[in-house]
Amino acid sequence: MGMTRRPIARDQATIAILGVGGLGAPAALALAHAGVGKLILIDDDEVDRSNLHRQILFRDADVGRPKLQATADALARRGLSTKTELREGRLDPMHTELLAGADVIVECSDNFATKFLSADAARLRRVPIVHGAAIRWIGTALAVGPEGGPCYRCLFEDIPPGAQAGCDIAGVVGPVCGVIGALQAHLALQALEGDAAFGTLATLDGLRDELRVRRIRARADCALCGSHPTIDAIDAARYHPAEE
Amino acid sequence: MAVIVRIPTPLRSLTGGAEEVQLEDVANVSEVIDTLETRHPGMKDRLLDDKGVRKFVNIYVGEEDIRFLEGLRTAVKDGEHISIVPAIAGG
Repeated sequence: MGMTRRPIARDQATIAILGVGGLGAPAALALAHAGVGKLILIDDDEVDRSNLHRQILFRDADVGRPKLQATADALARRGLSTKTELREGRLDPMHTELLAGADVIVECSDNFATKFLSADAARLRRVPIVHGAAIRWIGTALAVGPEGGPCYRCLFEDIPPGAQAGCDIAGVVGPVCGVIGALQAHLALQALEGDAAFGTLATLDGLRDELRVRRIRARADCALCGSHPTIDAIDAARYHPAEE
Repeated sequence: MAVIVRIPTPLRSLTGGAEEVQLEDVANVSEVIDTLETRHPGMKDRLLDDKGVRKFVNIYVGEEDIRFLEGLRTAVKDGEHISIVPAIAGG
């Protein structure tokens, strides 16, 4: 895959991190230490004590504080040059402007609706996105280019039906989040340089100490980035899981 | 002829926690799933719906997604690894 975009200097780049939790915290840390110019942090949650084992920027004293402010403070204590912009809110179909201004989006949300919505919004905005997920001992990271081909919907076509167990119910091992969040940061930095990372799917099995990296393929009939895409706007009805 | 199926964490409740399952005498992915279902009831429903492989599940033979091969008719060879990659949320 050749480079179709101009490389973006790291210190001039703006990267949005959607969700500053288990994945977003290590991703933010790595990107700030890498010298990224600005991080847009998006979240609407408060720090809970149950977060602390994996959300590594937070301390006991942060319990009850907004995650955005606690993240910004933790990064500021390190004295890094990276600027932070805090956008309080939850990505929903009426508020995709939360992603505006990003050169790359790092998707660290904890639910399928947000993952599919951010995939669609990134594609419609022609912005690269790096998806991440972690549960129990497994995690995945997927880098998607501004034109898709392949995209998240090439890999997973639609939201799984029924309620899905998230980390709050199923649990997640802290270091799995650390590895995946760091991988997301790594892929986001690659996305600033060129197109080489796009289509890379990394899957970590923490119980087997196995990291598999595959190149996924675009689906010609993908609703988002295929040859005849049907998703050309954000439609709120698309982000509810079907009944089982 | 034996193949090895890698079972992802969310489906290990059906295999008694086993991370891998070795299957004998299977010629294609469809037979792999049928044999999995016989040995671990409930597996087929987690992988397939009435249209084929569920939209939020990927099945790989070796390193290739079966959607880009011959789907459920994709042949499996002796010693081949079959991976199941479901969509996961959480973070």
